Amino acid sequence: MTAWGLAWRTIARSPARSVLAVVGVTVIGALLFDMLLLSRGLLVSFHDLLEAQDFDLRIVAAEGSMVHRPPIADATSLVEAIARLPEVQRVTLVRTESAAAILPGGDRAGVRVGLVGTTAAGTGSIWTMISGASLPSVTDAGAPPPLVISTGLASELHLAPGSELQLRLFRPGAASAIPLVTARVIGVAQFTFEAADEYTVATTMEGFAAAEGTRGSGVAELVLVSSRNGAGPAAAAAISRLRPDVRTLSNDQVMEQFNQNAFSYFRQISTVLSSMTLAFAFLLIATLLTMSVNQRLGEVAALRALGFPRRRIAANLLWESVLLVGVGGLAALPVGGLLAIALDRILRQMPGVPVRLHFFVFEPRTIVLHAILLSVTGVLAALYPIWLATRLPIAATLRREILS
Amino acid sequence: MALAVPVVTTAPADPPAGILISRQLAEREHLHAGDLVSLALDATGTGSRPFRVDGTYEPTPDPLRFTAKRIEARMHLPDLIAMTANPADPASAESLSAINVRLADPQDAVRFAAAVAARAPGIVVRPTTRARDGSDPFAVLERFHVAVAIVTVLGSTAFLLALMVMRAEERRETIGIIRLIGISQRSILIEVLVEGLLIATAGAAFGILLAVATQGAVNAFFQWRYDTALVFVRVTRSIALQSIAVSVPLGILAGLVGSWTLLRRDVLALVGR
Repeated sequence: MTAWGLAWRTIARSPARSVLAVVGVTVIGALLFDMLLLSRGLLVSFHDLLEAQDFDLRIVAAEGSMVHRPPIADATSLVEAIARLPEVQRVTLVRTESAAAILPGGDRAGVRVGLVGTTAAGTGSIWTMISGASLPSVTDAGAPPPLVISTGLASELHLAPGSELQLRLFRPGAASAIPLVTARVIGVAQFTFEAADEYTVATTMEGFAAAEGTRGSGVAELVLVSSRNGAGPAAAAAISRLRPDVRTLSNDQVMEQFNQNAFSYFRQISTVLSSMTLAFAFLLIATLLTMSVNQRLGEVAALRALGFPRRRIAANLLWESVLLVGVGGLAALPVGGLLAIALDRILRQMPGVPVRLHFFVFEPRTIVLHAILLSVTGVLAALYPIWLATRLPIAATLRREILS
Repeated sequence: MALAVPVVTTAPADPPAGILISRQLAEREHLHAGDLVSLALDATGTGSRPFRVDGTYEPTPDPLRFTAKRIEARMHLPDLIAMTANPADPASAESLSAINVRLADPQDAVRFAAAVAARAPGIVVRPTTRARDGSDPFAVLERFHVAVAIVTVLGSTAFLLALMVMRAEERRETIGIIRLIGISQRSILIEVLVEGLLIATAGAAFGILLAVATQGAVNAFFQWRYDTALVFVRVTRSIALQSIAVSVPLGILAGLVGSWTLLRRDVLALVGR
């Protein structure tokens, strides 16, 4: 009989014990799988969100970051200069501020929204159109500012393309309230970075200036640039030469900023929990196998006395460990998948997290890593029981077994 | 406002105003009390003014910003306004970003917030206590940690059961002999329960002691990693009691389930006859 066959019979001899051990490995393996998903989930998901935007360069003020974005002075002329660069395909201005969205004749307090002023006309940029039209490239003079609103706000205030909506911009640090501006909803869209607990309203830069009560300050917080194929680094260098007081970030640099700051907590947590899970699995498998060997000392000594080499005894125990960890590890994948959905749902309740951002994202490499980690743990856990079984004094053990 | 911190090499004509700087800023720029620095509104040196470092402080740990580098300085409000005020906008000299208020009766927070909002449009009044409307990120993190803890308990329960089943098998003959000499099943059951209680209590106590012993290392690692004084792990009495409340009944139950088959089995079968 092969070592594998012997291991299988040993496990099948105690079905209750084996099933419980496999269930334990399954649950612990599922947790390990989830922590591996969490370790890169935010990065992968955020990368997908950035890539979906069609922009590969983001410009902020030199002393700013993607989270803290001080205004860029004279952004309008910067955009015009960038648009003339041969490496650049498309450029967009973005300004954001908080505002109250009020239904005409409705509650005066209204609903707090994030107001986005942008020059990005057309879809496939900061939002995906659901109904109606996107923002026009040119606004008619005297016409109410056009608005593209998020699906959440449309549902909350029962708005549709053609509805009127009043906006009051909040000016931080100002002890005055800006008059209401009446605007018209022309489209409903899904905003890429909108959080579940937020509502977003986008308008043209002229519409934003109207809400602000100015004729346009030429200021923006963010400039999005889409460079021509492969011309990203050259475009970034050209922009830096144009305006040394701004900072041009590629998608990878933006990812790195978030990876270093906003996402690092979850990466650390996943590392700590993965390590603890592996240590836990190691201890428990080692304990189970050691107890199993201790119960079978007589059997092992008898096999050795019959001429079984140490190698086969070791192979038998190793196969036992592989069977327990292998079956449990395989079962851990679907269980871990379901658990990841539940845990993701919990974490996405965090305020300010974009609806389309996920904490647990599947990648094929996670399965490979999961298999490697569990295999190494299984082998390490089998080492002590193997040592115990192979170093057994045959005669003394058989004598002790007969006497007991 | 961005602050540039080059060290001033020439003494200013007027005695500079004093500021406090964060420990992180002091370490990064190798600054000490008595050093002269100039602070500006941006990296190009706009509105640059000299200041004297009067001391350093440890920034109040902020769980919402613990990953941020706390490169900060504190100065007297008139000095800050003098630096940031726009001469073309007289109102800017009277503008503030936030006012902290301590109420005589904290229960009045909602009424106070409504009264201030009615008198000063555009002002947002927020309580400093944790929100209960689901907007608190720590409540979400707590739910996540509880979910992970539940999964861990499920996994360890399965392992515990497996160990207890093995242990019961080990003692099959002993229990058979005890039953043969007339010890009742009830007595054996009580013995199993007491044994389970002792083992589970000892295990729970060991787990809590281990957590208490290692919490310092966990905190030290994260405090070093994020350069903060924030406490990440704290084993409180309530958490210790929760652990005991979960682990002791589970341990007893696992022992009981493991031994149940032996107690139900025929006594002759137990001794192999």
